[in-house]
Amino acid sequence: MNYQALVILVKMELKKAIRQPANLFLNLLFPAVLTIVFLFAFSDPEMGMDVNSLVPGLIVYAVIFFIMTIAQSFSSERQEGLLRRLNTTPMTSAEFMGSRIITHMLISIVQVVIVIALAYLLGFRPTGGIGGILLALPVVAIFALSSVGLGLITATISKTPEAATGISFIFILPQMFFGTFIPITSTTEQIASFIPSFYVVDALKMIFKGDWMNSNILLDLTIISIISILVVLLGIILFEKFGNR
Amino acid sequence: MSLDVKTVLEGLNKKELVEIAKLRKISIPHNWSKSLIVELLALNVSVDDIPKIKMESLVHRVKSNSAPIIVLKDLVKKFEDVVAVDGLNLEIMEGELFGLLGPNGAGKTTTISILNGIIKPTKGIATIAGFDVTKNMHAIKKIIGLCPQEAAVFKFLNARENIELFGKLHSISGKQLEERTDRLLELLGLKEASRRKTGSFSGGMLRKLNLIIALISDPEIAFLDEPTIGMDARARRKTWEFIGRLKEEKKTVILTTHYIEEAEALSDRVGIIDYGKLIELGTPEELMERHKAKNLEEVFLKITGRRIMEGV
Repeated sequence: MNYQALVILVKMELKKAIRQPANLFLNLLFPAVLTIVFLFAFSDPEMGMDVNSLVPGLIVYAVIFFIMTIAQSFSSERQEGLLRRLNTTPMTSAEFMGSRIITHMLISIVQVVIVIALAYLLGFRPTGGIGGILLALPVVAIFALSSVGLGLITATISKTPEAATGISFIFILPQMFFGTFIPITSTTEQIASFIPSFYVVDALKMIFKGDWMNSNILLDLTIISIISILVVLLGIILFEKFGNR
Repeated sequence: MSLDVKTVLEGLNKKELVEIAKLRKISIPHNWSKSLIVELLALNVSVDDIPKIKMESLVHRVKSNSAPIIVLKDLVKKFEDVVAVDGLNLEIMEGELFGLLGPNGAGKTTTISILNGIIKPTKGIATIAGFDVTKNMHAIKKIIGLCPQEAAVFKFLNARENIELFGKLHSISGKQLEERTDRLLELLGLKEASRRKTGSFSGGMLRKLNLIIALISDPEIAFLDEPTIGMDARARRKTWEFIGRLKEEKKTVILTTHYIEEAEALSDRVGIIDYGKLIELGTPEELMERHKAKNLEEVFLKITGRRIMEGV
């Protein structure tokens, strides 16, 4: 592994996240807007939806949208011949994919910070304190892997960036409806048990409450890690085999 | 005085420089770039050595010209029912500017894509510097540069950032990268626009940048796939001059084009390709003489009954 190449590619990806208006919006402004709007509109302690219980869902919501940005990015780079050009440099696939994963893990951490900072201004007071917030960062970063993987699968299926946007919702919508801050009923719980975001929200709720000794956190983390690693590996394999040309 | 020596040395290719260093018992690390070798040799040879250097390089050129650097044997590429490359046999010599001429869809880009490891051949063998493109692409990538047909640049980066990104991916950095970037931007007339986002570039500027990116690693072999397509006459002329410099530097250049005058003006030898097959091979003059034609367009017309620009 050439670490210099990895660093160069991560820097390039970070520039893309900041300089491309659509990426800037989805990666950084969207979580901010979402936090402000949802905490004002849906925060209702009487309905059991106080600020503290909404924040884990908001964080996960932002990371889910990586599926769209990654799928668009890969399919447009493929369409513009950039992937072919990058493939003719001595850079390896591991360096290329590694750089995308690292970049999105970093962005997910920034998203957590944005959501928490804004939520704090609107009354978010996690009983887990700063320790809970710090623990949330790696959990969300691992979850970001699954979004990278689903983004790659979307890019493999899609022929154009426009198609990628539409197809990405196949993976975004179930996670939005069954795994974020929308209350789970006994019927939807069955479906939610197959959705990675459900476990992330569950783990974050316990982490923010400071309920760190709860064995369910470990179970959630194990499930999130296994799903995320499998999905990202599947995404890389499918994209390398069918989507990279 | 050392400037004169440097100018002579810069006109030689890397292998010739290494050969000269060997004759002078100067050891050159394997991974040194051409410009570093030039710097070192310029410190070690005097202006009186210039005639000797020229002779040594000429001897080396004659020796090295006997070996092909690119070999294609019975190369076939099929896309489902379509045969894009159909049993292509070709040898390209080191330091040669080889023009691959043919109409759109003739198989030129497919051949280039196979040689650059972008797609795998269905059958046959393709080697570059002795390395098989299906097995040793990592070694090959260190000595090649591709200027693809589409202007493949990152629109959110400026021109300089694009060039530096690809330079760094070829492990060039620091002052060497900066100097090379400046030189290439200057030569192709993009220096003033180098800090502008490429999203605001005209088609011609993007194509020039495309070419610079292909050459930032100072590759021994450059694949230029329709490098002037969509350029106006002035920009095309400037790009021809630039490609001519590569020829002077004895780089191996594979140029695909469907512009007849481009192939005629630049190529040492031309291979005419149609329906994936090589239908003629030789110097432009040889081909015109062989077919009693005034230009390569007429050569193509006499062989196929069609004009190159008509397509297939």
